[in-house]
Amino acid sequence: MSANSWLATGNFHTTYKHEQNTFYTSLDRSVFTFFLILLFAWPIFYPLSNKYMLVTDNILIAIVAVMGLNLVTGFAGLISIGHAAFVGIGAYTVASFCRTLGADHVMVTHFWPVLIIFSGLFGAFFGALVGLPALRLKHLYLAIATLSFQMIFQWVINFMSFFNQGQTISVGRAFWLTGEIGRNQHYVFWYYIILTIVVLLGFGVRNLMKTRYGRCLIAVRDNDRAADAMGMNPGLTKVYAFALAGFFAGVAGALHAYLYRGVGFDSFTLKISVSYLAMAIVGGLGTLNGSFWGPVAIKLLDLQVEHLSEVAKQYLPSAMNVATALKPFTFGLVIVLFLMFEPRGIANWWRITKSYTKLWPFRY
Amino acid sequence: MTYFFQIIISGVVVGSIYALAALGLVLIYKSSRVANFAHGQIIASGAFIAFFLTVDKGVPIFFSFIISMIVTFFLAMSVERIFLRRLIGEPIISVIMVTIGLASIIDGLIYFTKFGTENYSFPAFLPQEPVSLWGVSISWTQLVGLIITSLLIGGFSWFFKKSTVGISMRAVSDDQFGSMSVGISVPRVFGLAWATAGLSAAAAGCIIGNITGLNFETLHAFGIVVFPVVILGGLDSILGAVIGGIIMGLIQQFAAGYLDGNFGLSGTGDVMPYLVLLIILLFKPHGLFGIHEIERV
Repeated sequence: MSANSWLATGNFHTTYKHEQNTFYTSLDRSVFTFFLILLFAWPIFYPLSNKYMLVTDNILIAIVAVMGLNLVTGFAGLISIGHAAFVGIGAYTVASFCRTLGADHVMVTHFWPVLIIFSGLFGAFFGALVGLPALRLKHLYLAIATLSFQMIFQWVINFMSFFNQGQTISVGRAFWLTGEIGRNQHYVFWYYIILTIVVLLGFGVRNLMKTRYGRCLIAVRDNDRAADAMGMNPGLTKVYAFALAGFFAGVAGALHAYLYRGVGFDSFTLKISVSYLAMAIVGGLGTLNGSFWGPVAIKLLDLQVEHLSEVAKQYLPSAMNVATALKPFTFGLVIVLFLMFEPRGIANWWRITKSYTKLWPFRY
Repeated sequence: MTYFFQIIISGVVVGSIYALAALGLVLIYKSSRVANFAHGQIIASGAFIAFFLTVDKGVPIFFSFIISMIVTFFLAMSVERIFLRRLIGEPIISVIMVTIGLASIIDGLIYFTKFGTENYSFPAFLPQEPVSLWGVSISWTQLVGLIITSLLIGGFSWFFKKSTVGISMRAVSDDQFGSMSVGISVPRVFGLAWATAGLSAAAAGCIIGNITGLNFETLHAFGIVVFPVVILGGLDSILGAVIGGIIMGLIQQFAAGYLDGNFGLSGTGDVMPYLVLLIILLFKPHGLFGIHEIERV
């Protein structure tokens, strides 16, 4: 324990118990509390229009999905190019309840927390299933296995009439203690729900990394043969990692279904999978706060590109669709530039600023 | 029975195109251990360059094919030089993601042109009447495509077996440090591998464009479907790419010919390669001709 709980300059752990604390210093705790209050309070003082509230909710859902992807790709080092398919499985779990019971059945409208958890578990099941090749495969082979899962998922959704062949399946409005959530409160209501889930899952990931299993994940990422020799089970660890990622993705998918009040095929294509990967990389692989920065950066970039293409449209021939061209271009450019010049992502900037402010006015 | 042989013929034609498309992927993987997710985009750009030259500039069609192959040769080489050379030694996820990012960039660039959304087809330069052999018909474009593909694959095999550059490329894929010590420039070999991959991609693009017409979606989908092909054949074997390609083409055409319409199924040809892929990955992950890697801590 450091002498001053506000201004610790290094690692002062003397017991394992202390190392397992969520916050090491009072400064950490108060900064976190401050941000938490800020996040919960700003919609009251500064209400956004529905359009921008939808963007905010979208960012939060992407954060849930990317946290899962970061577990499997960042912490466990297994590349998953099929994450949107797992998100899709969560969303289509909700959708299939709506198909069988009806969109406004009590199960869908009142028991949505149960349904969200159920979607997560279903996603975890599929995650473990797709992760099975991980018992034998590594790196590229595994990436291609997840890719093929993505393609098979797309075919199943487009083919089965139960899933409306990829057309939108509508989902009923959710009820809260005060009654039905109307049009105007819809986005704000889901903002609070998703924010709560993000905070809970964020704590979950942070604590997971301090458990036996979390350290196992990192050991397997760094060298799975060595981890094997140390008595861990790399294969099982990887399958669990996929299951966990599937859980996060399933939850994100269910939230997506409720937020849009419908499930359509377009939100779960290969392109979206790639964009989740991009978010994880731009944020910073293998860091928890990277899972927050990445989605914020990419979604805001998307928004800016949309604005830009609206402006550019006036000066260019109308036949050209600027938005469809500009979006993949900037998106690819951002991925490539980050990988070439800042492979550790935005989380690294955060780390640098943090250590700078902590040590100021000294250099080190 | 004619239907059966018809499917075999179209399976072999599709399969040989897969083999040609997969060849580029294998070349790059063999020398530099990079899986190129932008291969479909290179295929598409090769086809579009050829179309642009033929139709908009009036270049004779065979010359435009050759010019487009030369252009993609240098295009792929510069891609390697600019983006991938500084990533040598980086973790595999960075390299894979860079190729995915590249795919996205090329997507964007193609959407800026007229080829992004519309469909085009090459002007017909071969007889329209299909050739009929014992009741099985095969169109001239397919026949010529098949012949050109086999010539190209034969040429590439010769190139790797006999020529000095080919032998140095094989040496690099076998042992980078060893080949450096005998005076092979490893970065140059990487560049050449990308360049030859670009060349074969352009050839594949031109042949696909002649057979199926030019549509960006179908052309870049080839970049994804070659993965089942190379996994089946083994990621680092040229023979594997050829045989894997033909097997995958046959599987796809048989699925499309016999499963679709029965049992209420449709579009099975598109999904079958991926199902086969998952099964191969579970039981024979290094494919038919791939080399088992021995790992040490």
